[in-house]
Amino acid sequence: MALVELRNVIKDYDSNGEKIRALGGVSLAIEPGEFVAIVGRSGCGKSTLLNLAGAMDFPTGGEVLIDGQITSAAGDSTLTELRREKVGFVFQSFQLLHTLSAVENVELPLLLAGRDSARQTAADRLSAVELAGLENRMPHQLSGGQMQRVGIARALVHSPKILLADEPTGNLDNTTGARIMELLVRLTRENQTATLMATHSPEAAAVADVVVTMRDGKVVDIKRK
Amino acid sequence: MSGRLKLFWRLMVKPLGREPVRTTLTIAAVALGVAVVLAMDLAGDAATGSFHSSLETLSGQQDFEITAAGGVPEEIVGKLAELPYDWRITPRIEGFALVADSKRALPLVGLDLIGVAGRIPLPLTKPEALDKIFDANQSSFEDLAKQDSVWVGQSLNKTCGDALELLVNDRALTFTVRGVYPDDAGTGSAILMDMAVAQAALGITGRVDRIFIRIPRGATNSLDEWQRRAQQVLPQGVQLRAAGASTDENRKMLAAFRWNLRLLSYIALIVGAFLIYNTISVSVVRRRAEIGIARAFGASRLQVLLAFLLEAAVIGGAGALLGVPLGRFLATSAVKLMGNTVNALYLSSRPGEITLDPTSAFLAFFTGLFVTLVSAWSPAREAATSAPVEAMARGRVEHSVRVNKTLALGGAAALALLAAAMSRLPPVGGKPAFGYCAALLLVAASVIAIPAFTDAIMRISSRIFSRLLGVEVLLASRSLAGSLRRTSTLVAALSTAVAMMTAVGIMVGSFRQTVVLWMASELPADLYLRPAGSPATDQHPTISLGFSDQLAKLPGVLAIQRLRGYEISYEGKPATLASVELDDSHIEHSSDFLSGSSAESVLAELREKNAVIVSEPFSYKHGVRRRDIIQLALGESRATFRVADVYYDYASERGMILMDRNVLLNYLPDPAPSNIAVFISPGANPANVRAEIERAADRASARILVFANSDLRMQAVQIFDRTFAITYALEAIAVFVAIMGVAGALLALVIDRRRELGLLRYLGASSGQLRKMILAEAGLLGLLSNIAGLCLGIFLSLILIFVINKQSFGWTIRLHWPIAVILSGTSLIWLATVLAGWYPARIAVRLNPVEVIHED
Repeated sequence: MALVELRNVIKDYDSNGEKIRALGGVSLAIEPGEFVAIVGRSGCGKSTLLNLAGAMDFPTGGEVLIDGQITSAAGDSTLTELRREKVGFVFQSFQLLHTLSAVENVELPLLLAGRDSARQTAADRLSAVELAGLENRMPHQLSGGQMQRVGIARALVHSPKILLADEPTGNLDNTTGARIMELLVRLTRENQTATLMATHSPEAAAVADVVVTMRDGKVVDIKRK
Repeated sequence: MSGRLKLFWRLMVKPLGREPVRTTLTIAAVALGVAVVLAMDLAGDAATGSFHSSLETLSGQQDFEITAAGGVPEEIVGKLAELPYDWRITPRIEGFALVADSKRALPLVGLDLIGVAGRIPLPLTKPEALDKIFDANQSSFEDLAKQDSVWVGQSLNKTCGDALELLVNDRALTFTVRGVYPDDAGTGSAILMDMAVAQAALGITGRVDRIFIRIPRGATNSLDEWQRRAQQVLPQGVQLRAAGASTDENRKMLAAFRWNLRLLSYIALIVGAFLIYNTISVSVVRRRAEIGIARAFGASRLQVLLAFLLEAAVIGGAGALLGVPLGRFLATSAVKLMGNTVNALYLSSRPGEITLDPTSAFLAFFTGLFVTLVSAWSPAREAATSAPVEAMARGRVEHSVRVNKTLALGGAAALALLAAAMSRLPPVGGKPAFGYCAALLLVAASVIAIPAFTDAIMRISSRIFSRLLGVEVLLASRSLAGSLRRTSTLVAALSTAVAMMTAVGIMVGSFRQTVVLWMASELPADLYLRPAGSPATDQHPTISLGFSDQLAKLPGVLAIQRLRGYEISYEGKPATLASVELDDSHIEHSSDFLSGSSAESVLAELREKNAVIVSEPFSYKHGVRRRDIIQLALGESRATFRVADVYYDYASERGMILMDRNVLLNYLPDPAPSNIAVFISPGANPANVRAEIERAADRASARILVFANSDLRMQAVQIFDRTFAITYALEAIAVFVAIMGVAGALLALVIDRRRELGLLRYLGASSGQLRKMILAEAGLLGLLSNIAGLCLGIFLSLILIFVINKQSFGWTIRLHWPIAVILSGTSLIWLATVLAGWYPARIAVRLNPVEVIHED
């Protein structure tokens, strides 16, 4: 069964009274262990799709199913639970909390979910992204690549079934970006997560199992390896 | 509008409207600060400037006044009049009466109405008023001589021919209203009667209270020469002074009281200053990129500086403008509270009219604006001096304060040491100037130490808090530590308010406890009697001697002790001279003396020699110590007394000289007592004795009030609490301003950290967790402020008690910790601070995470 499924999803935004269509009937399904890259120009709807897939937003039309659960039918607390249990996010600008150390950033989703032994799990995840020994560094003491690794460790700390990455290499140089992509692929395989990545980078898209091309809010092409 | 102004409007003023709640809170903080300062100023003028309103205005324009303890012998009027000078001599009787139906206490003034009719020197508040008294339509000339004639102010709502019952001393007397004059809604009201009638009513024989002299206009001789001429017929004990000298004395006596209240009123404005500093700091941080761009496009440093100062001026100006009418409004309540204090501690006074003149309004507005600009100077300067590249690079990141803990704590310690040194210095011109400086230095030391303190506490406690209270508290504490400048400013503002509340709480609590303990030793009798009428510290109505003699013989009465008070002037300051019976062996005395001597030995000295004891405030004001010799003008003579000791006294700040009744009777022979203490025989039922006394009073037609010992103490404590009500009100306003600041700052914090809040939603935080986090930040701010405020407050209380109070009023206050009051006060403040986070928390929960996370 697909972990994430979009069924003819429409998303409209209201801008000063004018309706703007961000997604115009997108259908997509992602299986466990599958790495999907979404490519397309800025404003084509990549981030909107990711937010819908992560239960951060509701579709105007159609349905989004996360692990079989329709998001638009769920309340705020159910969606929060869904994110806590099943979704991990990786951001282009890392989005680390500057007042927390690396390990504290990573353990944050576990603490928010009220899980036990958060510190140990967070430390293990940092080891998994090759940052053992840097647990107590503050974000400003880390390089861009290290910060994104912390971001990835944080996204995976609660063993989510779905990993959503929005331009994860957008702020990194090519070498670092390539290493981050290798890491994402490895973790996707190891953890059997369904990974959905929005990217501008052809190099990044090249490592994906499926490449979905979008234009003006619509899927125009799907290529499988 | 010029281009620059347009730019200023668009970039600096318009953004203020985008956060209306926060802008309103900041403006309101300034408005309240300005309002409190103005209100205290206006109320002070009205409450303490009004004591002369009746008695002084009734004197009209005069040059000299002649007074004496116990009254001026009447024959001096004749002697002065016989001298070959064309001066005007106006004798006067002064007392107080209680209007029976309205229970309103009014000055009672006796003038030689027949003698002065037609040439009364415009005595009332309006020059035309006296004409009305002698208006043929209202009363006839013959009325002047009638023994029941009185003239009253309009505010008594009486008309000609009405009966007016007055309580004068311990007598109820009925008069007939012969005329009504305009009295400015009661502020200038007095009961006017012929001098002979007033003497009879007050039980005065052969004496007048005051004689005014008006020298002829256009006279070429100097005032000194006229003074010398008058002095030649005056006995030694009679004082000749410039007219209005007693009013000046009273005004000076009230100066310290007004000065302390005025300074207290500035606390709210100081707290407001912290908030302005915070607002402009936030504005600078948010506009870092804009500053960089503006500088890159040619804006000068001065222009950037002016832009932020003008932004502050817009906020401060709006606040100060609102503060002026608000201050006028608050003055109405403040004047009542201040009036209570003046009456309880100083002298009889009815608040005058509150007058908001353009100068006061302008000064208040300018003070608000000035404080705002001074507060904004530092962040505005920082904005102007940062390099364009640096400003752009740092973007909108909250810049942290680089805390050099050693330097900060060292600086704070140095200021604290300086404060300790200053607190040891003597007063300047009777004012505890160095005491105030010490208090300010302590506040400054605390402000300097707060960033290090906040940083340390947050770092140490965040893990503990998170374990105990959850991840939200960890995030809250890290957030506060992460924006240290903002946090420190808020903690400084709120802790200053808490500190002042704590300090004043400890001072008042200690004072209250001291007074309670003092009363236990100073009020040994079972019952206390005084003439019915309004009690006032500068009035000494009397009980007839005949009735007091009867009292001593009543069944169940073991002994009575008569006390007589007079108002005198000692070395240009008002004081109370009192005598007390010391020769009854049944009475056990337990007064507490500064020297530590036993009451028996000191009182034995009082009985045997021409000796007095003086109260602590008297001793402090006049520098009079034990074994000193003082000279007192008593009646017609000047007498020398030895100061047997100095006793603790908290009844009045006027200063008191106490001597044996028999000694005083040698100089002032009026034997009527002002108060009587009754000691009940062992085994007698107090209620029965009291009833017996009341029946005796009825039989003697004596209108007296009887208080049981416990009633009197309770009443004293009630008066005490009323006296300090205004202090608490000022503290409450300062705390309120600080809490408004916390609400505004938390709102700014939520807006500035919206991306972080959005991110937390992505990471699985529920809306409840976000709410808890913001409320935890508010709670931590409250906790930090309370801890810092309590520490600072304890030290400030020592300065208040042992330096400022002592140098202002001369009282020795024994330190007492009103723990329950302080704990409930700080708990309430903490709760209010948490509640202040409620609206910002609501805003945080309503943020759309998708929008805010993609803003960049």
